[in-house]
Amino acid sequence: MGIRVGIPRCLLFYQYGAIWEKFLGELGAEVLVSGDTTRQIMDAGGELDEVCLPVKVAFGHVHELADKVDYLFLPRMISVAEGQYTCPKIIGMSDLLRTNMAGLPAIIDVDVNLRQKKRNLYKAINEIGKIFNKGPLASFYAWHKAKQNQRKVTVAALAGRRVALIGHPYIIHDRQISMDVIKRLHKLNFNVFTPEMIASRDAEQAAKAIGKRIFWSYSHHMAGAALAYMKPGKLVDGIIFMTSFSCGPDAITAEIVSQHAHSNGLPYMLLTVDEHTAEAGFVTRIEAFTDMLNRRCALC
Amino acid sequence: MLITYPHMGTLAIVLKALFIGLGRPVLNPPPITKRTMELGTKYSPETVCLPFKVTLGNFIEALEQGADTLVTCGGVGPCRLGYYGEVQKGILEQLGYKFEMIVIEPDIVDVIKQLRKVAYQRSLREIYHAFSVAGAKMNALDTIEQNLTVLRPYETRLADGLWQQAVQAIDEAESISEIHNIVEDTVFQIGRNQCSDHKPLRIGLVGEIYVMLEPFVNQDLVRVLGTMGVEVHKTMYLSDYVRGHLLRKREYLDKYEELFALAKPYLGHYVGGHGLKSIGHTIAMSQENYDGIIQVYPFTCMPEVIAKNILPKVSKDMNIPVLSLVYDEQSGEAGVMTRLEAFIDLLKSRKRFGKVKGL
Repeated sequence: MGIRVGIPRCLLFYQYGAIWEKFLGELGAEVLVSGDTTRQIMDAGGELDEVCLPVKVAFGHVHELADKVDYLFLPRMISVAEGQYTCPKIIGMSDLLRTNMAGLPAIIDVDVNLRQKKRNLYKAINEIGKIFNKGPLASFYAWHKAKQNQRKVTVAALAGRRVALIGHPYIIHDRQISMDVIKRLHKLNFNVFTPEMIASRDAEQAAKAIGKRIFWSYSHHMAGAALAYMKPGKLVDGIIFMTSFSCGPDAITAEIVSQHAHSNGLPYMLLTVDEHTAEAGFVTRIEAFTDMLNRRCALC
Repeated sequence: MLITYPHMGTLAIVLKALFIGLGRPVLNPPPITKRTMELGTKYSPETVCLPFKVTLGNFIEALEQGADTLVTCGGVGPCRLGYYGEVQKGILEQLGYKFEMIVIEPDIVDVIKQLRKVAYQRSLREIYHAFSVAGAKMNALDTIEQNLTVLRPYETRLADGLWQQAVQAIDEAESISEIHNIVEDTVFQIGRNQCSDHKPLRIGLVGEIYVMLEPFVNQDLVRVLGTMGVEVHKTMYLSDYVRGHLLRKREYLDKYEELFALAKPYLGHYVGGHGLKSIGHTIAMSQENYDGIIQVYPFTCMPEVIAKNILPKVSKDMNIPVLSLVYDEQSGEAGVMTRLEAFIDLLKSRKRFGKVKGL
């Protein structure tokens, strides 16, 4: 049997999970991905103080995997683009785990730092390959094959109103954390547009309207995508920004998006979730916002 | 052009000297009060960190009094501080204020470029002089404060008096020699009043720089601990920040490397702000036989939240008690006092009965 490697279904898994899975598989590992987030998983991270909900959820997922695998795959994603960082909590994730959880398997937390040099990615790939006794060439080949596996987002245009749902993928696509907001909006007959439906080049272009380049990659993309949706031509009828309580970058990004939505005359709502968010209040807010959009659009 | 800047401990004195030296009128923002905090909180995003809110309050109060040029700092992340300027600018513009904002990025070339804009008719010699005086004031204030640490636990009143006197004198001083004299005088006074057989509790203060340096925000923590008979050693002063981050002096970079090496088993990478240093200092100070560590930071501060979740393990391994104090606009005095008293009691009994592992 090969080496068993667990990937927790949390945080950056929602962006790179498909590639990681394939990559590790190509390297000869037996990959185990934790299941969907449940209430228990969410509660397991409660021992941490003040961190955001996705980090607590990540704890729960690691808990799930801990005794089932030989390695945990949690690369330390420091930076994925020149001059930018990811998020301090993502950078410190593996250390938070090691100091707060007993009985952990070895964590593969190779530094991925492209802040200064893009070539550093190959350094990281090579280092991971070594763990599986693969030479650089075999590792690069595995990466090359895995990259083809990148998830393509398809945008299906349906009848109905359109709303942009801006938020980190690990919030809006985790059905437990987001309280299944996408499905709820669909039920209310709204088409939902998320940041990953905007190509990074377009987001980059739109983000130029912001005075200073945002130095968190994912927030940069989110803000850029939100601005792209706001462009003249009315791609969407309103914007919902979804964040988890105490998310650092979002406190800033949401404010920027809100300022731009305000000056573009577009309805904007900030939805904050944490582990105490109650369903009834959440649903009321979504319904009130969509009702308002319906009425507003009927008038114009 | 009427320049203003946010408060952070003694920062206003230093910047005032700098801009006056550059030939610009300045307006010191009104001292931080409850109103500053309320104004800032009202117009800030809900979960942004406290320094954002207080500095926004500073700007609003200064703009109300007629300032039209705001000076603030930038940054390259991942700490949010680097993005304050941009967002605050947007908020203040939506509030209808007319002003210009000068954001100084932590890069010596950019600092010079920005300041050339402010001081466009000044000769290099004058600019150099302005910087020297401001730098001298900053160093003087920090030197005096450092010297006062040892006096405060048993001569609180005297220490306060000397500090106020020195601050006022330095603020008014115009030449470098005058500043040197004040420092010499004050340090002499401090030395004369010191008693050598006194062995108070020694606490190291780690954490986020703004909360550490601004007494209004940290509810005068250093003084309060002083009245409780505790010697408090701040791990950061304004001059450290300027020399380490702006001038990138060798000795500070070496010191950082040292702290990073200490923190490495617990935190493997820089996480922005001072998170890594908080851990490194805690380990270093436990080796220097400090009695305890207090970590201070604003609520939701990303780097310090990581440090806070790692510190319990460090505390256990190094056998040194660590207390984390988190501040926001809701912080009440009584709650903090209770926690401080409990912590000091714990340290005292540890000192008396020896450092039992796990106590």
